[in-house]
Amino acid sequence: MGELLFLQQDVFPALMQGLWVTIQLIIPSSILGLAAGVAVGAVRVYGHPLAIRAGNVYVTIFRGFPLVVQLFIWYFGLPHIGIYLTPFTASVLGFTLCSSAYHSEYVRGAFMSAKRGQMMAAEALGFSRLQLIFSVMLPQAFRRALPGCGNELIYLIKYSSLAYMITCIELTGQGKIIASETFRFTEIFMIVGVIYLFLTTVSSWGIRRLEARLRLPGFEHHRM
Amino acid sequence: MPASIDAILDALPYLLQGSLVTIGVVLGAMGLGLLIGVSLALGQVYGPRPLGVPIGLYIWFFRGVPLLVLLFLFYFGLFSLMGLNLSAFAVAAIVLGLISAAYQSQIFRGAILSLPEGQLKAARALGMSDTRAIVSVVLPQALRLSIPGWSNEYSIVLKDSAVAYALGVAEVMARAHFVATRTYEHLPLYVAAGMIFLILTFLGTRGLRMLEDKVRIPGYSR
Amino acid sequence: MSEDVPVLRVEGLSKRYGEKPVLEDASFSIREGELKILIGPSGGGKSTLLQCINYLVKPDAGRIWLDGDEVVPARKRELYAYRQKVGMIFQDFNLFDHLTALANVQIALSKVRKLPRDEARKRAVMELERVGLKDHIAKYPAQLSGGQKQRVSIARALAMDPKVMLLDEPTSALDPELITEVLAVIRDLGLEGMTMLMATHQIGFALDLAHEMIFMEDGRIVETGPPRKILSTADCDRTREFCGKLTDLYGEAR
Repeated sequence: MGELLFLQQDVFPALMQGLWVTIQLIIPSSILGLAAGVAVGAVRVYGHPLAIRAGNVYVTIFRGFPLVVQLFIWYFGLPHIGIYLTPFTASVLGFTLCSSAYHSEYVRGAFMSAKRGQMMAAEALGFSRLQLIFSVMLPQAFRRALPGCGNELIYLIKYSSLAYMITCIELTGQGKIIASETFRFTEIFMIVGVIYLFLTTVSSWGIRRLEARLRLPGFEHHRM
Repeated sequence: MPASIDAILDALPYLLQGSLVTIGVVLGAMGLGLLIGVSLALGQVYGPRPLGVPIGLYIWFFRGVPLLVLLFLFYFGLFSLMGLNLSAFAVAAIVLGLISAAYQSQIFRGAILSLPEGQLKAARALGMSDTRAIVSVVLPQALRLSIPGWSNEYSIVLKDSAVAYALGVAEVMARAHFVATRTYEHLPLYVAAGMIFLILTFLGTRGLRMLEDKVRIPGYSR
Repeated sequence: MSEDVPVLRVEGLSKRYGEKPVLEDASFSIREGELKILIGPSGGGKSTLLQCINYLVKPDAGRIWLDGDEVVPARKRELYAYRQKVGMIFQDFNLFDHLTALANVQIALSKVRKLPRDEARKRAVMELERVGLKDHIAKYPAQLSGGQKQRVSIARALAMDPKVMLLDEPTSALDPELITEVLAVIRDLGLEGMTMLMATHQIGFALDLAHEMIFMEDGRIVETGPPRKILSTADCDRTREFCGKLTDLYGEAR
């Protein structure tokens, strides 16, 4: 009975508070990351050669540096040049930039696989370059990029736990604090793990639903 | 910032020693992941149906829970509960390996399923047992096909290994942070650490591409 | 061994996929040195019959005897030993893609028959010479023509000293100009007295060499008899109709 009381009174409120921070981290990071990823991806396909090169360097660095290193750069490194970010802001910035690099890879692949003929057809109809990217290529590319981008969202949910390493106390951080106070590491990290499992499972189910919703007849065969 | 460059140069030998630790964790994790991953894939493809359930649960669990949570769970929780007193290094390698196994199993599974069915049929027709056919015919081909996926998995495990810093493993990231807090040269040191990871990614994927060329079956275009 | 015991005897072999029967109550036997040809439309059950004979496809019913001994496929060791004595040639060769021609022939000798390395190698070289591929032993399947691949696969089967060979349309995946070289190898085997059951559309070859023809349709053996009779004066209308078409396609029945 005491066990249940302990869980109810101490563990759950703290973990729920942590979960709330985790969700606050994930939502802006995923939206901003996707938006930046689409922009970078589009630039890397349709942009000026110099912009393409810059885009490639951006992606190499943000995919090549471990996310922990990136978070440390934003949180501990930026003060070096006089910029001070809160742990929360540094985390969102880190997650956004890193996931935008991954998103841009999927978006780029999706744009590249779209048939050239469609671009020519749109140009022949008098579309401007920007118009044709947004109204012809993007809707197709989005469908093609969805599985990869969806995967990236799952990764983001899991990697949001790294915010704890720059002292942003989210779900994992709350778990660590209570576990260290009570020495119940196994139980508490099991509960924390199950909460993440719930988040990742529900999200991947949602993404699959979305994919099914957006499926165009006959289009799935062209997917890579 | 000449002071920053000095700071990096001073710390470089120390960081590079850390890269040996990083490489050790990654090799251990990839090896363990290969062993378990191949077993899981073989179990999924050739095993009896009921075996699919625990394998599916394993993959679901290790793909769905964050690395950091698993590191804490195993290091502070499960292993000491089991009475094992493992070093942080060992725990990091094992946990990364358990996670990687879940991903690697999907790589191998895809490779096995992409082999023509006739390969197994021909082996059976010669009187090979299923085990013999898998060892002599399926695996040599499936492992070759897995190298590109494996290369991708390597770069992920390599970057994830920086999280082992949370347990106090003296790998590249931990060392960069240690020096940074003493010299207050945070930015240059983290960038240096990031570059080391970038170089290790490059070298590793390069090596795997060379391996892929070396074991490529002549005349076989992919 | 008594003269009148067939090398291979099959009784009541049946197979269905779901509701659809693909092989119904097939029975026949082959004596030593005989070459029997299976003909019939695609999807008629020829391939299923051949694959059921060495249990690559598990038949739902039926019994099989090799040299008078009944095969019990549930006993794994016995099944593996039986398969070694039944050579199988596939339509699409199924060479092991990661092994050279030599290693393809050698692997079962080493791993299944457990011959010492040198002996296995010597035997493999010999078999490859026998099918005229002496100069190609170090090549990988992807470096060989279709005809060469099929000859390697014949060498691979021969190396196991089979009592009987099952050939599942061995030339139908080949370009026309490569068919002859494979048929020549099979012809030589027949002349050397190899017992064979072969599914094929090569009517001319069948007329020259077959001892008997088995016509299959819709999973049943419809008619059995000497090639010349089956081709020209078959009892069954369907057999005559099919053979007429084959003759048109693959040359005159001489």
